[in-house]
Amino acid sequence: MNVIGDFAYETYYLGLRTTRRFIRVPSNWISILFFPLIQLLVFSQLYQQIVDLPAFGGQSSYLAYLAPGQVVFTAFMAVAWSAYGLVVEYRNGYLDKLRASPIARWSILAGEMVPLFFQAAVMAGVVLLVSLLLGATIVTGVGGFLLILALSGVFGIALAGTSFIPALLTQSEQATSTFSLLMFPVVFMSTAFVPEALMPGWMQVLNRWNPITYLIEALRALMVTGYDWGAIGAALLSLAILGVILQGATLWAFQRLAR
Amino acid sequence: MIQETLLAVTERPPESPMVASRSDLAIETVDLVKVYGGETRAVDGITFGVAPGELFGFLGPNGAGKTTTIRILATLLRATSGTARVLGFDVATQPREVRKRLGLALQTPTLDAFSTGRETLELAGRLHRMPSAAVRRRADELLELMGLASVAGKLTGTYSGGMRRRLDLASALMHQPELLILDEPTEGLDPQSRTALWEELERINQAGTTMLLTTHYMEEADRLCSRLAIIDNGQIVVEASPGELKRSVGADTVVLQLDAPTGELDRQRAEVRGRLDGMVAPDAIADHPGGIALAVPNASAAIPALLRRLDGDGLRITGLQMRQPTLDDVFMKYTGRRIREEAADQPIVLGW
Repeated sequence: MNVIGDFAYETYYLGLRTTRRFIRVPSNWISILFFPLIQLLVFSQLYQQIVDLPAFGGQSSYLAYLAPGQVVFTAFMAVAWSAYGLVVEYRNGYLDKLRASPIARWSILAGEMVPLFFQAAVMAGVVLLVSLLLGATIVTGVGGFLLILALSGVFGIALAGTSFIPALLTQSEQATSTFSLLMFPVVFMSTAFVPEALMPGWMQVLNRWNPITYLIEALRALMVTGYDWGAIGAALLSLAILGVILQGATLWAFQRLAR
Repeated sequence: MIQETLLAVTERPPESPMVASRSDLAIETVDLVKVYGGETRAVDGITFGVAPGELFGFLGPNGAGKTTTIRILATLLRATSGTARVLGFDVATQPREVRKRLGLALQTPTLDAFSTGRETLELAGRLHRMPSAAVRRRADELLELMGLASVAGKLTGTYSGGMRRRLDLASALMHQPELLILDEPTEGLDPQSRTALWEELERINQAGTTMLLTTHYMEEADRLCSRLAIIDNGQIVVEASPGELKRSVGADTVVLQLDAPTGELDRQRAEVRGRLDGMVAPDAIADHPGGIALAVPNASAAIPALLRRLDGDGLRITGLQMRQPTLDDVFMKYTGRRIREEAADQPIVLGW
């Protein structure tokens, strides 16, 4: 078999395994969905009058404003601890067993990464469906719905490095979990909860550099205004930059560990 | 019957363009060295060979360098210097060829707790490029053979220690490897599971699979291995069959129990000494509670002649015990220490 065929074959079978590992532990998806759903349900009620502020630009409800941010937050949660299984398997020796199999090293990493696209997309889809039930809408219809899932999946893979880099560098479960917590402010300081105009000046500056904001704005456009290719393009570009940097560092850290 | 055909080494077509070495040895290392952190010489010049079909053992205490050697052979670790060839392929330059042909079971069974037994075997088969039908058939056979058929659909996280060992072994056997490398295969098992696993390993070896195993259990090395290398401080101290090693320590001990009333015992002992004069040296005979002890080289061969001499009136021999030197005595002789049968040390990793 050729190199690409081998890689796809190995990634497929290893990916099936990591997907099973994800699905078979209910606490995985419960802990991913819990916070976004709580925020969606509670904050949309608690702050419902906030949309009257002019900065919201005539948004119909705070729920409609909140939903895209919570969809992205779900994708964030889906990958925040994604390297945990790899660390455990490195420590208990399972990874050695894979390394002693006639497969490419990179297939092992791909078997962890590729399923994250689907995990992030499916988890984000659940939260998106709940927000639709609660009254949010998607003006772009089914096409927009699928595009939102795809963008969430791409975001998942791009962001996974925030879990994999500390995991591969420290090989410590504790370090991996802790680092993920440190990433939370990045979500809170995006436009997930309030528009940029309501942020203090310094946060507005940071916000321009926050890839999560660009993704949220693209999703918000798909849900509220329509196919805004400027916003979607900006989101894809920021995801591409994020992905290249984080995945590049992940590959480097993986090679360093495998050597 | 099923088991024999199952485990037989399959006929293999002439291999790929990759050239194997001229040597016919299944494993061949020359002056293998592994230095950790610039100072710890975990493996310090190991040279040994394993012929096809052998069941070769590394016996040594924890930290002797057994696992490090195994990891180099399994392409998991690079040697600092020296060469190692497995099934004719250099582990450093042709790791892929080695991995295709090798079956490996590490010290602690390394299973994915969230896969079922069957899924574990199927993944191993898939990664070795076995076609779907062969994967299913072979998984069924091995589950049956290892007595895991009834739990094939359960997650391995729910398995007992013995079941985990057997599944790990089955997963190493999926692709019918020519060589099986096992690191402490019965570590942590209860005696019953251990005996069962020994029988299994013997069967697999008899069916043609070459085996290298490490152990720090004397009994295991003695029972299983056709040849042994005693390893200490990263070096092979001595290498031979268990029988040769034990003979090298010295004579066997034969204890004769004598049935004698009080006062009569010493007379019978003297009688024994007299009758064995010229056959067993006087300094090789010692009193023993209720009898007399003889140091006899290769006792099992010498006993008929001994008994002929001792036959006849005046002696009432009620019991005979023969004790060979143990591998513990062997280890003592070559290293000056006793091997401690303790659980393997797990490295302590400090968390954040």
